[in-house]
Amino acid sequence: MRGCSISKEESSLVEGKSDTILEGKGICKGFPGVWEHLILDHIDIDVRAGEIHTLLGENGAGKTVIANCLSGFYMLSEGQIYVKGKPVTLKSPRDGIRHGIGMVHQELALVKPFTVAENIALGLPTSDLTFPLPEVEDRVRELSEKYKLYIDPLARVEDLSAGEQQRAEIIKVLYHDPEILILDEPTSLISADAEHLFEALNSMAEMGYGILFITHKIKEALEIGNRVTVLRLGKSMGTRETAKTDKTELVKLMFGEHTPAHLERKPVGSKRVVLEVRNLEALAADEEPALQGVSFSIREGEILGFAGVSGNGQSELAEVITGLRRATKGEVIIHGKDYTNHNPRDIIRAGVSHVPEKRREVGVIEPMTVAENVVLKDIRVSPFSKGSFVNISRVTAHAKEIVSRFGALVSDLWKSQTRILSGGNIQRLILGRETWRMPKCIVAVYPTQGLDAKAIDHTWELFMRLREAGSSILIVSEDLDEIMALSDRIAVMSNGRIVGMFEGSKANREEIGLMIATGASGSEHSQ
Amino acid sequence: MNLGYLWGIFLGSLHAMVPITLTATGEVIGESSGLFNIGLEGIILLGAMTGALGAEVGGPIFGLLVGVVTGFAIGLVFGLVCTYFKGVQLIAGVGINLFAAGLVTFWLIDLGVPGHHAVAEKGQMVDISTPLGDFSPMILVALGLPVLIYFLLYRTKLGLKIRAVGENPQAADVAGIKIHLLRWLSTAAGASLAGLAGAYISIDWMGSVTKEISAGRGFIALATVVFSGLNPLLVLLGGFIFGFFDNLAVWVATMPAVQKVIPWQFVAMAPYVVTLLVVAGVIGRVRFPAAMGIPYERE
Amino acid sequence: MGFSGNLDELKKTIIAGVIGFAVGALIMMVYGYDPISAYRALFNGAFGDLYGFSESLANATPLILTALTFAIGFRGGMFNIGAEGQLYLGACAGVTVSLFHLPFATGFALGLILAALAGAIWSLPVAILKATRGVHEVISTIMLNWISLFLAFYLVAEILVDPLRAEKTISIAEGARFPVMVPGTSLSYAIFISLGAAIIVYILLWRTVIGFDIRAMGYNPLATTYAGIERWKVILFVFITGGLTAGLAGAVHVMGRPPTYAIYSGMPSIRGLGFEGLAVAMIGRNHPIGIIISAIFFGGLMAGGRMMQLFAQVPLEMVRVVEGAVVLFLAIPELIRLFSFLRTMGTLHIFRSKRS
Repeated sequence: MRGCSISKEESSLVEGKSDTILEGKGICKGFPGVWEHLILDHIDIDVRAGEIHTLLGENGAGKTVIANCLSGFYMLSEGQIYVKGKPVTLKSPRDGIRHGIGMVHQELALVKPFTVAENIALGLPTSDLTFPLPEVEDRVRELSEKYKLYIDPLARVEDLSAGEQQRAEIIKVLYHDPEILILDEPTSLISADAEHLFEALNSMAEMGYGILFITHKIKEALEIGNRVTVLRLGKSMGTRETAKTDKTELVKLMFGEHTPAHLERKPVGSKRVVLEVRNLEALAADEEPALQGVSFSIREGEILGFAGVSGNGQSELAEVITGLRRATKGEVIIHGKDYTNHNPRDIIRAGVSHVPEKRREVGVIEPMTVAENVVLKDIRVSPFSKGSFVNISRVTAHAKEIVSRFGALVSDLWKSQTRILSGGNIQRLILGRETWRMPKCIVAVYPTQGLDAKAIDHTWELFMRLREAGSSILIVSEDLDEIMALSDRIAVMSNGRIVGMFEGSKANREEIGLMIATGASGSEHSQ
Repeated sequence: MNLGYLWGIFLGSLHAMVPITLTATGEVIGESSGLFNIGLEGIILLGAMTGALGAEVGGPIFGLLVGVVTGFAIGLVFGLVCTYFKGVQLIAGVGINLFAAGLVTFWLIDLGVPGHHAVAEKGQMVDISTPLGDFSPMILVALGLPVLIYFLLYRTKLGLKIRAVGENPQAADVAGIKIHLLRWLSTAAGASLAGLAGAYISIDWMGSVTKEISAGRGFIALATVVFSGLNPLLVLLGGFIFGFFDNLAVWVATMPAVQKVIPWQFVAMAPYVVTLLVVAGVIGRVRFPAAMGIPYERE
Repeated sequence: MGFSGNLDELKKTIIAGVIGFAVGALIMMVYGYDPISAYRALFNGAFGDLYGFSESLANATPLILTALTFAIGFRGGMFNIGAEGQLYLGACAGVTVSLFHLPFATGFALGLILAALAGAIWSLPVAILKATRGVHEVISTIMLNWISLFLAFYLVAEILVDPLRAEKTISIAEGARFPVMVPGTSLSYAIFISLGAAIIVYILLWRTVIGFDIRAMGYNPLATTYAGIERWKVILFVFITGGLTAGLAGAVHVMGRPPTYAIYSGMPSIRGLGFEGLAVAMIGRNHPIGIIISAIFFGGLMAGGRMMQLFAQVPLEMVRVVEGAVVLFLAIPELIRLFSFLRTMGTLHIFRSKRS
């Protein structure tokens, strides 16, 4: 790796300077009711002037939450932030800016129909009746030049490429002359342009900025930082000098030391293909290509796990299969019948269950009762309704059974709104609803995210039982343990393509971890 | 049919376009900031009432000002409910319409003559006399104001901020803009123009107040905003189109020849039919602020 | 069905009601009326005796139906304010039947059916424009309300006009009228049509699959699609059902309200019933049972309003001012919390002033 050696030389140069400008001590953050564990668990982190400190971790490890805490977007549940040794309380992003902390969000905080200059002018403390655009445009050109982040100030944000939008966002933050720059997953949108960004960041570090660089890619952590802190499930796994660590150590810190068991199972017996996807293409919400020719098939009684960092097309894949998103090309074949771009109703009838990614927004209707949500899909069929009338007693009996079988904690089936349930209980409810019929095919997206360890075990057991019973299961997960434990075959997704396919029983964890973490085939071959 | 006759229709259309243009221009400000006010109808009505009474006390200009203040005050109530209190905008708007309809009818009865109040001579606006015909100075205001608001929205930082809170309040929040305050004031400013429109109708155009004086113009203004795609300059065009059809009904009423062929009721439908067709035609091409109608809550 | 939160809904309605009446009192004081005697006359007139109560029920009869129109839409996440226009046409359809001399039962049934159909047909463009073009129902219903007004004016003046008295339409044939329930009052058996409709809507919303779909879509359109519910079907159903009840509202008004059984030119007794229904629905929290209660309450205010006018000289339109204020405050989702906050502030204030 070319980047490695460069960054090691650089880091030794900066080692002497160690004046800490931003420090967080014992930072805790919880989202009660949404997550069953603390999302940040007593994190210590510091950023020094003139260094790039990399924060490395899988998605869901809590990286963005730290960034939001340090920049004033979230209030801390516990802990203290220090700026240049002085304790500060950040109540809003404005406070952050005032203390010299600028954050570049992963989801860019830009008003899309506005030009770059207009977006910047928005945050300036000039009078409301002025129109400071000419000065802003000049200054943007100047900053562009200085940091080599070239951008046309007059371009509309919505017309810019992802990389350009990101540059605009960085310029917007630099406009306020921050001393600390926090970049949340800046390369997730611009894998092709990353080199360019790194150059700019390195030169900024040389100018004395403190930079907190967040990424899930080990390759980048080794390439750019002076120090790297690894985060796993809300806990800090320790900080290393970038020069004194390597891939193997980081992979271990990131994914854990233990080798999770590939769960015992009989080999897939059947040769019947239940779900087949051919050369599928689709667009994401922002009209960018999300799927670029995905093909695979799942046999009866087989679990196919999709590993990879989220945002590489997995969500869109699940949505296209279940009829929630249009395919622009390719075919979805269920039991030999073409179901491409059929509506969700047809696909439900074809026997495909869907455990959706957004469980509160899509998986349930929060203001409705638990009983109603249990029969959300089944209410249209006998015995839950007859001649378009709902059979309340059958629904009640069924809901009671599902709730108790799946161990969801529910106070009252017909009285409590589903919104008051914890995320875990909502997921139990959804899993119950989607699997009680022993469906032929299940599409499950991040099925155990945010659940506690016990609930995860139960869910895994459930999937194994369904597999025994002959269900074909597609699981999308960012948790490599989960993928390794469950999958008969493992597909690694990157940039809308399947970049690797492994046998579950023979899969090498390190190999897959590396493929995911380096975005290996994805970013390098596709561009 | 001679040229003078056509000119008369044109002038009539201009007079009819004033209230729609003013109200729609105001609503453009409000909707740009993300608030959708269906209470405009009621605000026009109340503005007509208070404006007329104000004009009888302090002359037509004072009356117009009273209309503006009335609109602003109601806009403040609506805005408060829909920003800080996170109220449902449609319901709040309906509440204002009901309230205004009740209060104005009540007020008219209280004045002694149920249902109708003629504005005293000294309160009425005097038209500008030109060789080409008499016209109200408010026409100039209605033609000028959209241009002014266009500059405010698209050529000042305040305008940038207003449009930003309607489009992406999260981004605006990051930029340190006080979302609720800005939305509140924007919708109130917009409502003040609806109040002005109401006062114009009673003091100037019609010369009287009735409990139905707004005649759906608040809603036609909403449709005009849809037509304009939130561009005040297009509000001018939309306002004229709707004003033309509004005026047409009045014009036809004076023409017995036409009346024999088409009953007046069908001509009276014209502005509403046209509105419906135009909205059905342009919708889909029009892009509204992404966050319109959604109360803002920081995560 | 979920009863959860119904108590909170009631609390909220009561708080909004109290604020609304306070606003009304304030306005009366500004205009120099005595709010106490006005409200006393109002409530006595509405619920004080059998006559008053019968009038209240009579007023509630069409309001329940137009409120149902709005409530069905609201439950489905749509803001259907088209009852006003559909109501006019329903009334005209009810009268139209009497142009022909039909036997008793046929005329009666046909009147109701035609009125309901007229309302439903008038709501179709709204549903179609929404499902296909994405036209917001607020704009389309309001425009159709105005078009319907002039259409009804035309029908009343030209087609249905009484050859002997030009200011009104022909009267409903005697056989096609609802019999009066309490002699000497306006209350007829038409109220059972309204009550029946409320019960049917209740069953529809909470006991049938389409009702489930409607409520699901009202809460979360995205999850509704995920669950395999087709959006356009729900939209069509909501507007057609709403049109049916609004059309019926027109029919029960002309066929069931003594003494006129006709539409007068300008439609003074009919206009406003649709918008009034909207307020009734919101105050009844869009629940059929709540709507019945709130319609009787508001019917009472309309009946009592006359007494208020008579005994306290307060114009009865004050009732609508109160309604408007109540609806405005009902728009606030956290009204209860806000109110308890203000109350805490208030008691603190009183506490302080007592000590000083």
